[in-house]
Amino acid sequence: MNTILETIIAPGSIDFALAIGIILVKIAVVIAIALLHVAYATYFERKVIAHMQVRLGPREVGPYGLFQPFADGIKLFFKEDIIPAKADKPLFYLSPVIFFIAALTSLAVLPFFDGFVIADLNIGLLFLLAMSSLGAYGIILSGWSSNSKFSFLGGLRAASQVISYEIAMGLSLVGVMIMAGSLNLSDIVRAQHAYPTGVFVIPQFLGFFVFVVAAFAETNRLPFDLPEAESELVAGYFTEYSGFRFALFFLGEYTGMLIMSSLLALCFLGGWTIPRFITDFIPFLSAVPGIVWFLMKVYAFMFFYYWVRATLPRYRYDQLMAIGWKLLIPLALINILITGLVKAWIKGLL
Amino acid sequence: MTVGNLIKSIFFIEILKGLSLTLRTLFTRPVTRRYPKVERPAQPGFRGLHALAKDETGRMKCVGCGLCGAYCPSQCIYIYTTEGDDHTKEVDRYEIEVLRCIYCGFCVEACPFGAISLSEHYEYSSYSRDDLYMTKQKLLENWDNYFAGQKGIRYYHDFWRPKLEDFRGSEEQASIGRRNAT
Repeated sequence: MNTILETIIAPGSIDFALAIGIILVKIAVVIAIALLHVAYATYFERKVIAHMQVRLGPREVGPYGLFQPFADGIKLFFKEDIIPAKADKPLFYLSPVIFFIAALTSLAVLPFFDGFVIADLNIGLLFLLAMSSLGAYGIILSGWSSNSKFSFLGGLRAASQVISYEIAMGLSLVGVMIMAGSLNLSDIVRAQHAYPTGVFVIPQFLGFFVFVVAAFAETNRLPFDLPEAESELVAGYFTEYSGFRFALFFLGEYTGMLIMSSLLALCFLGGWTIPRFITDFIPFLSAVPGIVWFLMKVYAFMFFYYWVRATLPRYRYDQLMAIGWKLLIPLALINILITGLVKAWIKGLL
Repeated sequence: MTVGNLIKSIFFIEILKGLSLTLRTLFTRPVTRRYPKVERPAQPGFRGLHALAKDETGRMKCVGCGLCGAYCPSQCIYIYTTEGDDHTKEVDRYEIEVLRCIYCGFCVEACPFGAISLSEHYEYSSYSRDDLYMTKQKLLENWDNYFAGQKGIRYYHDFWRPKLEDFRGSEEQASIGRRNAT
């Protein structure tokens, strides 16, 4: 069979097709699992925040309200699709897609456990930062094209906020890059496993702090949700969106949160590994598959997202900018300086 | 800025306090009442849907004097009377427009015979206005539904004693209890 095929099409193309097929299957699996996580992230969020506010949260759809995400999805799917009369239609159609695709594309470079990554890029970390910047285009364009003052203000705020915190986030990750000597996320995790503490959060606590704060701002979550501040801007940049276009923004935002959590787990908390001194102490823990550790770290940070949302009010706009430029960026620069000096000292360059 | 304040702002003491508060609240019991599934019992003396009282023989207590209608601030009580066979007053129609009622309870206080009352029933939403226009027939049925037996007697004794019988109010009634205390 193969020989017949190879006579028809060019030799070697079977392997190529097979590789593409495997990648497609991987993509389908990752997207399906990620969207399921997004669905239940909303449920988890509503439950956590409700209980923190001494409420019950969703309980009616299915046992303990477990089918609530699907009910919400079906509801959004059948909602009327309203487009403002004076909207810039092509951009209005395009911007939620840009936002959502940028979020989904970031999933490609995340190693979920050892060896499982769709695209094992050498510039994985840079790619993630680039994709989160591209997502900001979706936000800005949606604010512009809606032709509504609330959307426009939300878009402007998103632009300045994302650009400010992008810098801090990139700089906070430079320390990790110096320590790991690589931009490949799998290599970063392996470098952490080889490192004595097992996680980069202990030497890189400054970078970790800057990253956590910047991650909140990057995903437009409280206390930095100024682009969609509902008490001032109705819903911010997606005020004019309804139905499934709104759902795309919603999915994109939660996918972004999952990606930031994954990035934090990979760069600072050791990804799918746990520190070696723990496995030396309790040997059977090494039999637990890596995906379990990875997901535990991601869920813990997602919980932290909700926890902070239930606790803190929104920052004022000048406070937001002051934190970004006057606190986080200098902190990240100090972190880079110290990390670089220590690394040079260890290598005997000083 | 003092050193203490500086340490507080560097280590986010206030934010950590807030986080610990929300975390502790996470494990407390929610206060939500799951209303349609778990009904909330009406407090004693609750002023809900109207009912026309019946005496022991099952006859309507109302004599059609019209005091309730005269007192009613939203003027939603309509009474139509005619002269009966032996020169008695016959109440032909006694109607309350429930959607206009403000549940002040003045009609109950005004009534010298304890004929009109406000029951503890409060779930009577409907799709049509006509369902909420209470005719004499419906009001008498309300009495059977919500005040049957001892309940109506007890309710009258505790909260809506007609002024004909006793001018003093119940001790349980909030305003009167307060007046007696001072």
